[in-house]
Amino acid sequence: MKRITSLVELLAFAKEVGPKKIAVALAEDPDVMEAVENARKEGVADAFLVGDADKLKKVTDPMGIDLSNYQVVDVKGGQGEVGIEAVKLVSSGKADILMKGMISTANFLRGVLNKEVGLRSGGTLSHVYLHQVKGYDRVFFICDPAFNIAPDFQTKVNLINNTVNLAHAFGIDTPKVAALAAVEVVNQDMPCTIDAAALTQMNRRGQIKGCVIDGPLALDNAISEESAKHKGIVSEVAGKADILHVPDIEAGNMLAKAIVYFADNKTAGLVLGAKAPVVLTSRSDSPETKLLSIASAVVLAAYQDR
Amino acid sequence: MPFETLDFLVERSRSGKAVVLAVAAPHGEDILEAVDEAREKGVASPILFGDRARIEKVASEFSIDTSSWPVVQEADEGRAAELAVKAVSSGEADLLMKGNVKTATLLKAVLNKEWGLRSGSLLSHVFLFQIPRMGRVFCLTDGGMSMYPDLEAKKAIIENAVECYHRLGVECPRVAVLAAVETVNQDMPCTVDAAALTQMNRRGQIKGCLVDGPLALDNAVSEVAAKHKGIVSEVAGRADILLVPDIEAGNLMGKVMLYMSGGRGAGVVVGARKPIVMTSRFDNAETKLLSIAFGAVLSKA
Repeated sequence: MKRITSLVELLAFAKEVGPKKIAVALAEDPDVMEAVENARKEGVADAFLVGDADKLKKVTDPMGIDLSNYQVVDVKGGQGEVGIEAVKLVSSGKADILMKGMISTANFLRGVLNKEVGLRSGGTLSHVYLHQVKGYDRVFFICDPAFNIAPDFQTKVNLINNTVNLAHAFGIDTPKVAALAAVEVVNQDMPCTIDAAALTQMNRRGQIKGCVIDGPLALDNAISEESAKHKGIVSEVAGKADILHVPDIEAGNMLAKAIVYFADNKTAGLVLGAKAPVVLTSRSDSPETKLLSIASAVVLAAYQDR
Repeated sequence: MPFETLDFLVERSRSGKAVVLAVAAPHGEDILEAVDEAREKGVASPILFGDRARIEKVASEFSIDTSSWPVVQEADEGRAAELAVKAVSSGEADLLMKGNVKTATLLKAVLNKEWGLRSGSLLSHVFLFQIPRMGRVFCLTDGGMSMYPDLEAKKAIIENAVECYHRLGVECPRVAVLAAVETVNQDMPCTVDAAALTQMNRRGQIKGCLVDGPLALDNAVSEVAAKHKGIVSEVAGRADILLVPDIEAGNLMGKVMLYMSGGRGAGVVVGARKPIVMTSRFDNAETKLLSIAFGAVLSKA
């Protein structure tokens, strides 16, 4: 499979391997319906719309959306019930992807983590942002900028594995993972530099597979070959990183949002580590970001089905 | 919204009396070129503290005419730093610039109790970024002088940045205390600090500015994003100063702003009696010039 090097290529590939089926939890959400309708029109995904059918029609009619293109699953109970019904569609195999609609994140995740009908895989749920940035020839995967606050060691390993798996789905056989810090040397006053060194050695000992990890690396060392050379860094990853592993949620969140607001970029977001891909978009995500998020879920779902 | 671009820095640095720039150990071409450009543009007038032979060698190699520049001969970098600091301390120079000397060495001289530039305040790094996509200037602080500042240190960092904005003519800058989220969560200590700093501002413990937090970066810089989250805040969407929780967050965010935004930056270290220009070898020429200009403007005000 050809390596996906941009989010434009991602969308094209999603059309090739799609359409996949999304289950939307509480679909009476205009922003989410706009995204789902876009995805359907682009041939990327079809959807089960789970929620109150009457409320849904009130949202979709003024938008000119024809509900006969969808399978509406009328559930008039509370958010908890809707969350369960939506996740059941995915865990039973009827749908490939779970997407959050107007339901609260807490209720949504409760459904995902439900012991009987949820999507627990025994691993760790983690979030990834995918960025295409002008001037760079590949997609950057940032893990984990939104879910895990201060991940302990095992959690870091799990979320790296989740992201490596996604990179594989993008045709990147052995993604290069930069364990980011503020500096490229180990400094006992900066604990994340020690974690970065540990992750590097775990990779070298085959404890983390399917990728090449190096750290600590500062962001410029990780993505700019020139910068890495100036610092005299000897590393397979320096200057060529695909996956940017961040020390904690604050650093990750600021890195990702700085890219979204300050750089010429296309962005997608995805939740990994469940039995199926989970799409959790934010109201302030652009329609393009929402579409690309669905597209990345489709590509991952196709990869998991292969 | 105070500043749309950083153009004002060079203009303002040129007005009035020329700023005298003391450069500690300017033995590399990156420093000499930056100083030369600042001199040419009328931003600052240099006095070099270092080894004349090394300076002349680099100057001739890179075609920089340093013949008319005052040079105080001192081959040892540590002592050159000491002399440069003393020049600023005595008022002979207005602004200090780090040349090819270790940061730790320079700071040791700055913090000397007898002849240094101590002011009783914490030193912190203030970086102005002009971001084309947003059409305005943001201030990021602290860029890494403190690694994991506690509450008192964060207060001092805010005060230093606010003081800069006052000197730039902005009476009441808006300060966003950044976190990953806009709600207080005891599992995220920096959100608790953010709440504390907000209340300290409201109680007059931090003056001359409006502080609000926690705010995620999008909430801080985008009114649309803030509105989507239903955030009621005088700072959300309009932040001038972005306070980062620690060195990693600051470093990652700062590098995106410096390398990926297509914009321009200017950074100085403040908190001492006079500003200190500490450019990195990897800063481009424009950043170095703007940093010297920023320092010059602050030293005049």
